[in-house]
Amino acid sequence: MAPIAVGDALPDGTLAWFDENDQLQQGSVHSLAAGKKVILFGVPGAFTPTCSMKHVPGFIESAEELKSKGVDEILLISVNDPFVMKAWAKTYSDNKHVKFLADGSASYTRALGLELDLSEKGLGIRSRRFALLVDNLVVKVANIEEGGAFTISGAEEILKAL
Amino acid sequence: MASVLLRAKRAGGFSSAMAATAAISRAFASLSVGSDIISAAPNVALQKARTWDEGIASKFSTTPLKDIFQGKKVVIFGLPGAYTGVCSAQHVPSYRNNIEKFKSKGIDSVICVAVNDPYVMNGWAEKLQAKEAIEFYGDFDGSFHKSLELDLDLSAGLLGHRSQRWSAYVVDGKIKVLNVEKVPSEFKVSGGEVILDQI
Repeated sequence: MAPIAVGDALPDGTLAWFDENDQLQQGSVHSLAAGKKVILFGVPGAFTPTCSMKHVPGFIESAEELKSKGVDEILLISVNDPFVMKAWAKTYSDNKHVKFLADGSASYTRALGLELDLSEKGLGIRSRRFALLVDNLVVKVANIEEGGAFTISGAEEILKAL
Repeated sequence: MASVLLRAKRAGGFSSAMAATAAISRAFASLSVGSDIISAAPNVALQKARTWDEGIASKFSTTPLKDIFQGKKVVIFGLPGAYTGVCSAQHVPSYRNNIEKFKSKGIDSVICVAVNDPYVMNGWAEKLQAKEAIEFYGDFDGSFHKSLELDLDLSAGLLGHRSQRWSAYVVDGKIKVLNVEKVPSEFKVSGGEVILDQI
């Protein structure tokens, strides 16, 4: 599958998370994003740096500003199970808006064409680092990194596009 | 999948009292008392729990099984997943809290392994304040557990391919005691207190 690009329709898929009542939920991406302006950003792995120390905090800190510019949801996905995503989300105590979603089997990451083989690093198939701005299921901005770098996939780039 | 159900049905005949006093042997599995864990899983390595920076510094090195088991007395336990309920609340604490007793019985290392990457294992081990007592290893692609036929499909629980909940006492690579829960949500035979009595 070719990587997702500007103008593409956002594919549907199932992601998992723990809700505010600590119940395990599974939902379709379309149900989370239809009719809305959403940011979908992805990281190679929970509990690994760059993800933990730069990429994710950038979106947490800019969340209010992004919302004031019309973004309805900020969704973070990673190829991890929902238990790990929940534990990782808890380490960001000041997070109010970013939703941590689990793509445990990497099936949604593959649907986006953004899978990355990090077996050598002990991670297996994961996601490339990326950020998408999606308006009513159509991709408006697609910032996809090569490897694990962190250059264009941050919150600032999305803010510039809004 | 059928073999997993068969195993579960078979193991249902044992009472937990029996499990507590005798090592369970599973005649149809590759692993049982007397098996050599190193030759049961040749070419398999585990990854010591680490931070990403430690990973880079060590060039993402892996630990071959012989380095872990050869010439040593090891208590090892495996569980379905880091950061999940029974694993966090009961399984790991039962080993962490008894570490002195294990040491006084001459155990060289107590090891926890799960099908998670070593970075998640590291984060979890630190959260449970168990890194001093227990060595945590990641079996990130499940190859260790598959080789030992202790793998389990937990896709229904959104965990994917993971492992059973189990414990073993291994001396110089030979399995002396092997305990496997009937279902991974149970915590009857694989805890620290049980195996302490079996060593």
